[in-house]
Amino acid sequence: MFTRDMTFTDVERLDRIAAEAIETFVMDEDAFRAFYDRTARSVWSYLARITGDRALADDLLQESYYRFLRAERRFDNESHRRNYLFRIATNLAHDRRRRGRHAVSVPVPAENEPGALVDRSDLAGDTERRTDLARAMATLKPREREMLWLAYAQGSSHEEIAESLGVRKASIKILLFRARRRLAAALGGARPTSARGHAEPRT
Amino acid sequence: MKAPIECPRESDVLDALASKRWPHRVDRELVDHVASCQICTDVLVVASAMREDHDATWQEASVPSSGQVWWRAEMRARQEAIREASRPLTFVYVVAASVALAVMAVAGWLAWPAVHDFASSIASTKVSELASPVTLPLLVALGALLVVAPVALYFVLSDE
Repeated sequence: MFTRDMTFTDVERLDRIAAEAIETFVMDEDAFRAFYDRTARSVWSYLARITGDRALADDLLQESYYRFLRAERRFDNESHRRNYLFRIATNLAHDRRRRGRHAVSVPVPAENEPGALVDRSDLAGDTERRTDLARAMATLKPREREMLWLAYAQGSSHEEIAESLGVRKASIKILLFRARRRLAAALGGARPTSARGHAEPRT
Repeated sequence: MKAPIECPRESDVLDALASKRWPHRVDRELVDHVASCQICTDVLVVASAMREDHDATWQEASVPSSGQVWWRAEMRARQEAIREASRPLTFVYVVAASVALAVMAVAGWLAWPAVHDFASSIASTKVSELASPVTLPLLVALGALLVVAPVALYFVLSDE
């Protein structure tokens, strides 16, 4: 009962302030929706793999796009936008880790995950391989996981990785080499799995 | 001599994987090279495992719709803007209340000798004399002030 009633002027003023907040977004709704549709699955996959937590990946996905929209900067092109988005996602994952709310444990992929790209006959083999990768990834440092995922899962260039992780481009080569060596060793130096058989060169 | 950290054939291996030509549709020369090159072997092991995992994770990803994400962002931006706009007002109220309290304290401290003298004179005065045309309104005003001041302060502070 002691709350001051808002006048019509107050409402108008707050409406105007709220509308101005939307105008500060880095892109309009149509552009955002197109950009989101192009990038959301990649960002989610990245977050899920580097944090090892799908629920956390859901949270951080929303937060990443919100911070991206509120970023007070201009982007030269799609690649810059995308790298900046991954940088936000990376920093959010780091923040969560530092706060200790989330202990990184790369999860074992569920056997009957919907939509898996494999046929049933090879499901067990694929699940086993993904489990091996998850365990091996868990032995790496967060930065190594991020770098390897960007380089080999998403096919990002050294420049893009440097921009996404905020690391000097000159350092990427050696850092990537070390991370790759460690992961290959953790995977037991096994032959690649996507080949689904032994390498048989074309003759 | 330093051990090499990269191999010029890395990109060939990655291209073969990306185009799904490995291992059946690549030159034997590349396969032989990978077999003898530790760096390319590592690249092949790591990249093939990660690509496979990426494809599966991509399919499993259940992301909210773009419209939903936009709407939530819009709502949140509005709320934050309004909260931000209201903050200076709250600050002003707090400062005003603090100043009022300080003024009251200083005024009380300055007026204390007079109040003390007044209280002493009342103590030595008969009750019938208190009802004089001068002292009664003064006492009533003082009592009202003691009641009204805290209530007024409460109204100011509870405005938000």
